[in-house]
Amino acid sequence: MERGSFFMAKKWGHSLRNWMNKNLELPQDVMMDLPRITMIGQIHIYVENHRGLITFSDKELRLLLKQGQLLIKGKGFVIKTILPEEILLEGKIDQVLYINE
Amino acid sequence: MKNHWVEYLTGIITVKATGKGLERFLNKLMKSGISIWYIKKHGLHTITFQISLKKIHHLRRIVRGSGLKIEFQRRAGAPFLYKRLWKNSGFVLGVFLFIGLVLTLSNMVWGIEIKGANPATEYQIRKQLDKMDIKIGKFQFFTKELDEIQAELTNNINAITWVGVELKGTTYHFQVVEKDEPKKREEEVPQNLVAAKKATIVDDFVEEGSKRYSMNEVVKKGQLLVAGTIGKEDNTKVVSAKGKIWGETWYNTDVEIPLETIFQVFNGKEKEKHFLNLGKWEVPVWGFGKVEFKQYEQEENTKPIKFFKWELPIQVVNKTYREKEEVVRGYSEKEAIQKGLEDARKDILKRIGEDGKIKEEKILQQQIKNGKVKIKIAFTTIENIAKAQPLKQGDTE
Repeated sequence: MERGSFFMAKKWGHSLRNWMNKNLELPQDVMMDLPRITMIGQIHIYVENHRGLITFSDKELRLLLKQGQLLIKGKGFVIKTILPEEILLEGKIDQVLYINE
Repeated sequence: MKNHWVEYLTGIITVKATGKGLERFLNKLMKSGISIWYIKKHGLHTITFQISLKKIHHLRRIVRGSGLKIEFQRRAGAPFLYKRLWKNSGFVLGVFLFIGLVLTLSNMVWGIEIKGANPATEYQIRKQLDKMDIKIGKFQFFTKELDEIQAELTNNINAITWVGVELKGTTYHFQVVEKDEPKKREEEVPQNLVAAKKATIVDDFVEEGSKRYSMNEVVKKGQLLVAGTIGKEDNTKVVSAKGKIWGETWYNTDVEIPLETIFQVFNGKEKEKHFLNLGKWEVPVWGFGKVEFKQYEQEENTKPIKFFKWELPIQVVNKTYREKEEVVRGYSEKEAIQKGLEDARKDILKRIGEDGKIKEEKILQQQIKNGKVKIKIAFTTIENIAKAQPLKQGDTE
């Protein structure tokens, strides 16, 4: 019973956020805790709001998100900056994939 | 994107980390707020990244439990640059010392060459130069200007008529023209002696020629005194008449002496300032503060700094300020007359020549007007009135 009500509250909060998004026209990344990804051509990718590094090699970068993972594939990767919630990757980016598990 | 120039100032180290669980390690670093950048993966178990020198201690703490091996690879940034500079400072110092040495040596006097003077004169010139502080090993900034040296040499050494002063590089060249003092040969030209002015003859000394006057005779200007023809009518000979005929002459002189005269004199107080002239800027080097003289004269002496033989666009400027003072000289009436007489005497002696004499002087008139004493003096003098007059060919008289 307790568990159920907690779940209900969570669901209620989620729908409230959804409603706010629709009606207040706030950026979604702020409201929904989603990653914001900025790319400059193929050479730069900037990911905000990630939750940590899972794997990193010169061909692949796997980032943990709040929900699921983000997989970036390419060549000659170099992390230019890494901060608790931001990462700037340089290299030649071929693919950006969302993995939902 | 972030430029890491702030970190550059405190120093940046490239770190190589080897081992398993590199991603975990990176996450840990991230969470503890240690910023790293330029992360590269080399193979499976190696990464390199850059980190601020200040965060090295934090890095070590995190590494300790992780089972990774780290290695410091490259050091960059200001602290390391500074260290390297310090290491090479000997070389830099050497370069500066060398430039300094060349500058110093280029601005010294290294030679004094005197041409066209005989040994005696040369010795005199060298002595005079010593007095002016122009010696080998002295700095050129403190020597006098060339024209001053020239004037001082020509004034103080009688044996030279003219001296050319030139400064070529570090050597002074003196081109001396000595006075050729020819012995005065009295030319044996047939001549008469005539009176130069109206006078009464008081004394004489005739070496050659025949007298045409008598003692105490009053002669007119241009009157023949000693004829250059001697001998009797048929047997005449032409000679150069020579001798001195002393005549009494008269002069009237007017003198005006102001009772009060204002003079501008230097009172000996002076201030020196040294500057370095860099283009438009004058950088004071020595001698600061304002010149507190009410009236002063300023003397400026500019010397370029030389590097080898080239002149740099930097000059050494010495300025000397000399205080002037107004001095009022006052004469009493008596003093003024005395002074007037003295002046008049000097003036007369100049006019009658070295061997002339003043026989008598008499103040004819004196008056004070507009702060001035006016006196009229009559002088009776004795001077040589003989003047040579060449005889023309065929002249008998």
